[in-house]
Amino acid sequence: MKTGKKALISAALVALLAPWTSSHGETIRISQIDPSMLLFRQDVKVYVSVTDKNGAPIRNIGKDKFTVFESADGDSFRPIPAIKDFQTMANYEDGIYFLLLIDNSGSMYLDMQQRLTRNQADMKFRHAKTAISTFLQSMTNPRDRVGLASYNSYYESFSSPISDKTRIESLLGQIRMPVGEEGHTEIYASLSRAVDEFRSVKGRKAILILSDGENRPFYTYTGKPHRDFGTKIYSYTEPIRDCQEEGISVFAINFGRGGERKDIHLKDIALQTGGAVFDAGDGSELALVYSKIVGQILNEYLITYSATMDPADKKYVKIRYAADDGPIQAVRFYFSSTVFGLPLKNFSLLLLLPFLLALVLLWLLSRIRFEKKKGVANIEVLNAGTARAVTKSFKLNKGQTIIGASRGADMTIMSGITQIEEKHATITFDNKKKKYTIAGDGDFKVNNKRVKSRVLEPGDVINVGGATIVFDDGEVD
Amino acid sequence: MSSIKRRIFLCLVGLLAGLAAWPAAETTLLFQADFPSYLIFSIFLGAVFGIFLGAFFGSGDGIIMSHRRSIISGVARGMVIGALGGAAGFFIGQAALFITGEYLIHSMKKFNTVGMPISRAIGWAFLGLFIGMVDGVRSGSWNKIKVGMIGGISGGFAGGLALEYFRIAFPGTVFARLLGLLIFGLFIGLFYGFVEVRLSYGVFTLLNGRFKGREFLINQKKIRIGALEKNDIRLEGYHNISDSHALVSVKKDDVFIAKAGVGSILVNDDPVDEHMLKYEDVIKIGSAKLLYQYK
Repeated sequence: MKTGKKALISAALVALLAPWTSSHGETIRISQIDPSMLLFRQDVKVYVSVTDKNGAPIRNIGKDKFTVFESADGDSFRPIPAIKDFQTMANYEDGIYFLLLIDNSGSMYLDMQQRLTRNQADMKFRHAKTAISTFLQSMTNPRDRVGLASYNSYYESFSSPISDKTRIESLLGQIRMPVGEEGHTEIYASLSRAVDEFRSVKGRKAILILSDGENRPFYTYTGKPHRDFGTKIYSYTEPIRDCQEEGISVFAINFGRGGERKDIHLKDIALQTGGAVFDAGDGSELALVYSKIVGQILNEYLITYSATMDPADKKYVKIRYAADDGPIQAVRFYFSSTVFGLPLKNFSLLLLLPFLLALVLLWLLSRIRFEKKKGVANIEVLNAGTARAVTKSFKLNKGQTIIGASRGADMTIMSGITQIEEKHATITFDNKKKKYTIAGDGDFKVNNKRVKSRVLEPGDVINVGGATIVFDDGEVD
Repeated sequence: MSSIKRRIFLCLVGLLAGLAAWPAAETTLLFQADFPSYLIFSIFLGAVFGIFLGAFFGSGDGIIMSHRRSIISGVARGMVIGALGGAAGFFIGQAALFITGEYLIHSMKKFNTVGMPISRAIGWAFLGLFIGMVDGVRSGSWNKIKVGMIGGISGGFAGGLALEYFRIAFPGTVFARLLGLLIFGLFIGLFYGFVEVRLSYGVFTLLNGRFKGREFLINQKKIRIGALEKNDIRLEGYHNISDSHALVSVKKDDVFIAKAGVGSILVNDDPVDEHMLKYEDVIKIGSAKLLYQYK
């Protein structure tokens, strides 16, 4: 029952993915999508690769064979009325990003006839290394980058794509023979992991997988949950979907002995991502892989169209190619969110209320005058400076008011840098003249001038030991 | 208005600006699909947003000084400069968002919870950078432009981030963008309040009369003081103040006060024609007394 269900799901997934490949084995792939001119010119550029069942590019396809669609949700696509610009044989010099994914399962340490051997030179792993060296040497564009990873029960990354090819060759030496339960073959899961690692790379991307057998998941064969994947068993459709989303083509090199040991779906993965499958021979096929990929890129079609304005955080682009035996299509997405984001789903006129509310509140703010009311005469510390004002303000309701460092003073201000006397200054009220006079032995200033005695006017500034005190007679006029 | 009150006031103005801009932003977003391109959409939405923020912040100085003519001219100039700043800010913010978003959406596993908020916040920070400058450009003050830029960038970043995480925490809420805009406005106001004093050439505090305690920041190279509306500091409710009474000018970080008309000026009780101010000088203009300080 379980197997039946799995088969059903697999069949459904294959049906879903079918549009990428025609019955003649033609495949369409969006290798790159470039929305960098979206804001300036409303342009989206799509690089499309159409390949045959051998992974060879199909040339000379006319513009009228392609139709562009766009969707805000990935479900309902709108046709774009016209293709703005159409170019073939796009001049491509940027280099390609490769990820070499090498099988490091137990069987790679057998010889090509699947026999045990002690002679390292006979082991399949040694052949794979030679093949990789050939591949590295065949690369002609200095802008190409190569990364390295291995897989058995576990996926292990050795290097993200770099231009130093000798470094990659030397890293091959770090791949060690698996022991115990490490020797299983997680092909599909590892491919999905490789795509994840490759996601951050922008540009043309290809994965070269060197394999000598079938997908043999750890959980299926040991009954134990996998360290990284738990009890999840990857289907071959998952790496296909992942690769198609990222525009990555997969090229598979089989090290198996004849057909019976090959993974049956590795071919599907390769074909449906626009790659190809090779059987390993003397390693020269890997040089072929390189020229094939370069050929594919040089024969890409560059389609430029004007994007729709439908609000969406990401937009899906579908390119449909009218192949001879029915249409095939590829979908990818680009980022299209705006600074303020998506519009509200339920817009209401009540939303205008906050605007009115803001206006009313601002008007109310402007009405606040912050006016002083008439009160009694007082002195207030405006700024204590280095001193410490124990009393912040004091109403002058006595005949004499003492300012000083003493606790018994009316306004107590403790010394900071400058010494403050116990009774530093005294403000005396003359009831007849209705005048306040400040006098004292201590060193103080009124309006920035040293004085010994002075009649105070409202707004006069007294400085005692660094503290700024304002005198106020209580009047507002 | 004292420093603390002034800060609170500026924060309130910022919040109100965000509140007022929200409906305008929502209405424009509703019509995104009807715009011919992202370019025109961005410029339009940015200008609309900038007009609201510019108008509210433009009114601030006038309200603080209870100066009706300043409010009207401040709002008008704020709207014009706000429209320009908003359009430029939104355009550059959108460009930054497209670049960051397109990069992160393909490279980051946690795009929805990390990549998107970061991309959004970067876009908003650029918008804030330009919106924050608006009030400084309006009042012709380089210091204010600097303050606004700092407030705008940080407010934009925080607002954009808050908006995304609020949306993640409460899916389906209609208030996420409002929250983002309120934070945006609040931060710009907050930074004006906190940094403008520090970046100003000093402050005058009224020492007596009806408006005792009110502070006037010296954040322009020239400040006119007098009884008429056209002055930057209008001393109403005081006696013996002529229409154009005094001119404060900043020369190489030194602040000078000079007679501008018929009325006399006393500095520390001595009459002066022109005087370089020093810390805690007390200036008497008519019946009004002002204390000069710097922080």
